[in-house]
Amino acid sequence: MIIESSNQVPRVTLLKRFPVPRNFKVTPQSRIEKGRKWAAPAGASRTKTFEIYRYDPESEANPRIDLFEVDLDDCGPMVLDALIWIKNKVDSTLAFRRSCREGVCGSCAMNMDGTNWLACTRFISDMSKTATIYPLANLPIIKDLVPDTTHLFAQYEMIEPWLHAETPTPEKERLQSPQERSNLDGYYECILCFCCTSGCPSHWWNGDRFLGPAALLQAWRWLADSRDEAKEERLDTLEDPFRLYRCHTILNCTRTCPKGLNPGKAIAEIKKMVIEREA
Amino acid sequence: MDPKPPISDMTVARPRPLSPNIQIYRPQLTSVLSIANRITGVMLSLGAVGLVIWLTAAAMGPRVYGEVHAVIASWGGRIILFGFTFAFFMHLCGGIRHLVWDTVHGFELRWIYISGWAVVVGSIALTWVTWTVSLLLAG
Repeated sequence: MIIESSNQVPRVTLLKRFPVPRNFKVTPQSRIEKGRKWAAPAGASRTKTFEIYRYDPESEANPRIDLFEVDLDDCGPMVLDALIWIKNKVDSTLAFRRSCREGVCGSCAMNMDGTNWLACTRFISDMSKTATIYPLANLPIIKDLVPDTTHLFAQYEMIEPWLHAETPTPEKERLQSPQERSNLDGYYECILCFCCTSGCPSHWWNGDRFLGPAALLQAWRWLADSRDEAKEERLDTLEDPFRLYRCHTILNCTRTCPKGLNPGKAIAEIKKMVIEREA
Repeated sequence: MDPKPPISDMTVARPRPLSPNIQIYRPQLTSVLSIANRITGVMLSLGAVGLVIWLTAAAMGPRVYGEVHAVIASWGGRIILFGFTFAFFMHLCGGIRHLVWDTVHGFELRWIYISGWAVVVGSIALTWVTWTVSLLLAG
């Protein structure tokens, strides 16, 4: 079927996961074990089961999958509401990040039913019969659904996401025509939730050296900025077999962006700009 | 002073687990066609060896060629040749899709999916046409 926008949940799912062994490329301490089941409170008539990834750094145990039965009549409509309901009413040790609850802050990015999205903007009714919730893919886990994004922010820092200008600072602001400003549309809106980078297979295999879609989209945001004067230096940093060119245009990034942005296109723009400066 | 060790010391004792990636991430047209392009590329590389064997056999004379041809014309040979044909067309269509992307066109999600399904349908149709025509010509 044709997906028109990234918020579309597929009507049919042919394959829930790739046909690889459960512990394919998984280090011993990352192996996921069976956890416990937390039953719905007595008297709950409309319940839904959530399978949730748990990891407790203070125990010696491996990560596990716990089953929670959520009382839908007592809970808000979004997945984040279900997580808050669980934390308030069932297991207060469940850890997850959240802040704005309206898709602006990017804190509650996680893997729901196999794809990355924000828990606050995903309807419970759009989830599978048994909903599965994992932390963002391919990241070191601090606790439960809280990943360590240090490396991703270090990669973001590498593209120097601030204005570089040699010309003397003007009296007022640096002017930009409406046309020049519109070049930033679709790029400046990134909230750094890292759904895209975490969903990028190329970043899974080469994340130590490949910058990943989130950082590269930001790199393009500065390359596209008419006020920035460091285009050459920025391209020098990016033009590298790994940093930029490990992108094989898989486009999981564009499919998963909760803000509907297009990291895949941004990276193609960078590649084109590199070619054009050499021509 | 508080004797509690800093967090960095605690993580050394037990490395953090890595959250699952390929083991749980949902296959989508985007990733499936990407891996299909890789696999068909590998199949074409192997097929190129077969092509060289076939040409070498032809150069070595009718006896050797006859033997190689018998292998290719067998049921097993035909199934492999069919797979090779499909791999060829899938890699070709996928390659054209990548060429268009290199010009920064077709990145709207809608067009990513339309071109993706076009690759699937196109490679099946081209394989079917090729085999129908070949079998008709061969009588």
